[in-house]
Amino acid sequence: MRKTDNIIDSLVGDLKPVPRHALERRFAIGILPALAVSLVLMLAILGLRIDMAEALMLPAFWIKSAYNALLAIAAFLAAYHLARPDGSQGRFFQIAAAIVVTMAVVAVIQLIMSPVDTYPKMILGSSALHCPLLIFLFALPVFAGNIWVLRRGAPTELRLTGFIAGIAAGAAGAWVYSWFCTENGMPFVLIWYSLGILLTGILGSLMGPRLLRW
Amino acid sequence: MMSAHSEEALKALMLLSLDGDEAAYRRLLNAVRVLLIGYYSRRMAAATKADMEDLVQETLLALHSRRGTYDRERPFTAWFFSIARYKLIDHHRGRGGRIMAETELGEDVESDYNEEALTARMDVERLLEGLPEKQRELIRQVKIEGQSVADTASRIGQSESAVKVGIHRGLKALAEKLRGGK
Repeated sequence: MRKTDNIIDSLVGDLKPVPRHALERRFAIGILPALAVSLVLMLAILGLRIDMAEALMLPAFWIKSAYNALLAIAAFLAAYHLARPDGSQGRFFQIAAAIVVTMAVVAVIQLIMSPVDTYPKMILGSSALHCPLLIFLFALPVFAGNIWVLRRGAPTELRLTGFIAGIAAGAAGAWVYSWFCTENGMPFVLIWYSLGILLTGILGSLMGPRLLRW
Repeated sequence: MMSAHSEEALKALMLLSLDGDEAAYRRLLNAVRVLLIGYYSRRMAAATKADMEDLVQETLLALHSRRGTYDRERPFTAWFFSIARYKLIDHHRGRGGRIMAETELGEDVESDYNEEALTARMDVERLLEGLPEKQRELIRQVKIEGQSVADTASRIGQSESAVKVGIHRGLKALAEKLRGGK
């Protein structure tokens, strides 16, 4: 019992005020620079897509960008809630499912409106194999930032938190990659981008229990 | 007077602590220490006393290092017992006793600290406020915090039968209040 008294003494002595929104601030500090690193990495290794000027006029470019950005935002918010011991993922899985289903509908509409001989281009494109791997690569800095933040938080569901943190990083990495990728097929984005995001999610669920323990 | 262990009282102390009030923080830590002993002793029947003391200390350290994750808009006890519960699971896991942790952490723990149970507890607190202080404290320590009659008796320096009688009278008064209120 004596020892507990000593611990309480030292904790009281160590007390410093905690600013409001300390957790939000920590997320901003951990994630925004990591996202900048990903962007710089992309610009250095790949560069912007060669047809950037025209691409900015294409709905396909913006739909692709929005798909990744929305998934990333939903996942970051869920990870933020899970960083509190009494937090939950809320409706993350429903929201993510709604985003993916909407993308699937867009993809089907695009296929219906296109001639059949363009299908291989829209589904496999010319980069199907390396797209998920590059997304995974650009996700890694953000993933590291996420883990850095969460290790100072207090998540209680480590595997789930790791998975969602991975999805957030994957979607952020996919968003970064979409500034380079010249694919305009929505089925392509639905399949190969989602695969890259899922890969990062799996990495998170595997590493979560080990990295996030406190 | 508000009980030292009610949600309202603890939350008020926590908010002061977050602003750097050392006296409030000391009171908070001493209060949650008592809660933790009750919480862990109910869930670690086979454990040694040293084990439990370790866990209490580790939870206090976690409360300290993770205090930035407390959301000022939400109940303190829900946050705090989530940490206690996590530390208990982690404690069993550390021993390779995962299965044991899962069996011990049955519905009992799950249902204890959800929002609904918390509001129910706040209702209980409100009811208890109407009792004489002595009965109120006895009911709280034995029936709510789960401490044994013997421990409570020795702490307040009374016989076990006096404690039992006090609890019995308090509960009877509560029952009458509930009947009268409806």
